[in-house]
Amino acid sequence: MSLLQKVKNFVRSKSIHVAYVDVGSCNGCDIEVLACLSPRYDIEQYGIYVHNNPREADILLVIGAYTPGWEEKLRSLWDKIPDPKVAIAIGNCPISGCVFNRPHSLIDPPVAKHIPIAAQVPGCPPRPTEILSAVLAMAPVVFKDYEVKKR
Amino acid sequence: MAFSFTYYLREFFRLEWLRKFLFVRTAPLAIPSYFRNFPELTGKTCTHHLFCMMACPAPGAIDVIRTPEGWHPRIHQGHCIRCGLCVEACPNGVLTSGRILETMFFDNTALSFSFRIDVDTERCMGCGNCAVACPVNKLIDPQMSHGGRASTDELLLKVSEGKCKVLHVEKCTGCKICEDHCPNEAISVARLLEAVHAPEEEP
Repeated sequence: MSLLQKVKNFVRSKSIHVAYVDVGSCNGCDIEVLACLSPRYDIEQYGIYVHNNPREADILLVIGAYTPGWEEKLRSLWDKIPDPKVAIAIGNCPISGCVFNRPHSLIDPPVAKHIPIAAQVPGCPPRPTEILSAVLAMAPVVFKDYEVKKR
Repeated sequence: MAFSFTYYLREFFRLEWLRKFLFVRTAPLAIPSYFRNFPELTGKTCTHHLFCMMACPAPGAIDVIRTPEGWHPRIHQGHCIRCGLCVEACPNGVLTSGRILETMFFDNTALSFSFRIDVDTERCMGCGNCAVACPVNKLIDPQMSHGGRASTDELLLKVSEGKCKVLHVEKCTGCKICEDHCPNEAISVARLLEAVHAPEEEP
């Protein structure tokens, strides 16, 4: 492995940029993601930065049960994220629809049908520790030796 | 002089301070055992009363499967919302989650169930699917024909005069199978769960 690759691996392990998108949830999981930013959990000490700009994101946190309003938008948002990228489903809604998955409800779970999902964090809502450990566990898998793996 | 310039320098150029400043993390991210988590099995024998499935508010979160060792509840992560109602509803204490079982024991509380069945007579076509599918009816009258007509009045549901009639609502177990089998969404079951204090012992 070249020195440049080692430097890239080190830098990427300390700098993970996260964007989150709510595709129709009850806002419970949004609040848990925001709780990650609070001093108790403090994701910035792990080098995770939360933006709401997909163009500078590495990890997309998808929250919610996929309502019809997101039909084309989520896919185009996913395409805007530069490689290497990964999407994590936060909460039960993007996995199964949770309590909204009933007859006549206007949702289309799982989100994995629409964009590739790499990891899922179950819970309604998941705890901030679980969100944080999912992001930390996913980051080395995706970003370590990305150029080597691509070749 | 305690707060002089040299004190300041000595305080902030200590190796210990630098190490803390650069590498300290918040407390380890472990979930305490008393947090309500996904229910786990305690090893007690499940008697297949299905109260857990009945009390569960999330679709598809719990089912009870039959294994060679006996009945066996399964929790599906990604569906379960960790409300703990299945733990409270279970009459045998098969499931456990956090401190729910201890709290129920010390506070002497239990869940009581009652059910209400509403039949929309505008929509009911009298097909009798609900009465035939009902597992309580099956125990009372296994001979019941399709169409839901039967001679006995001991049944929970019965079709008479072209409409579904609810005869003994107290026999309902809240499984909602009738709802699933109704082609016209005419029947609906309301489950009324109440937490009661100091439940009376069965004689």
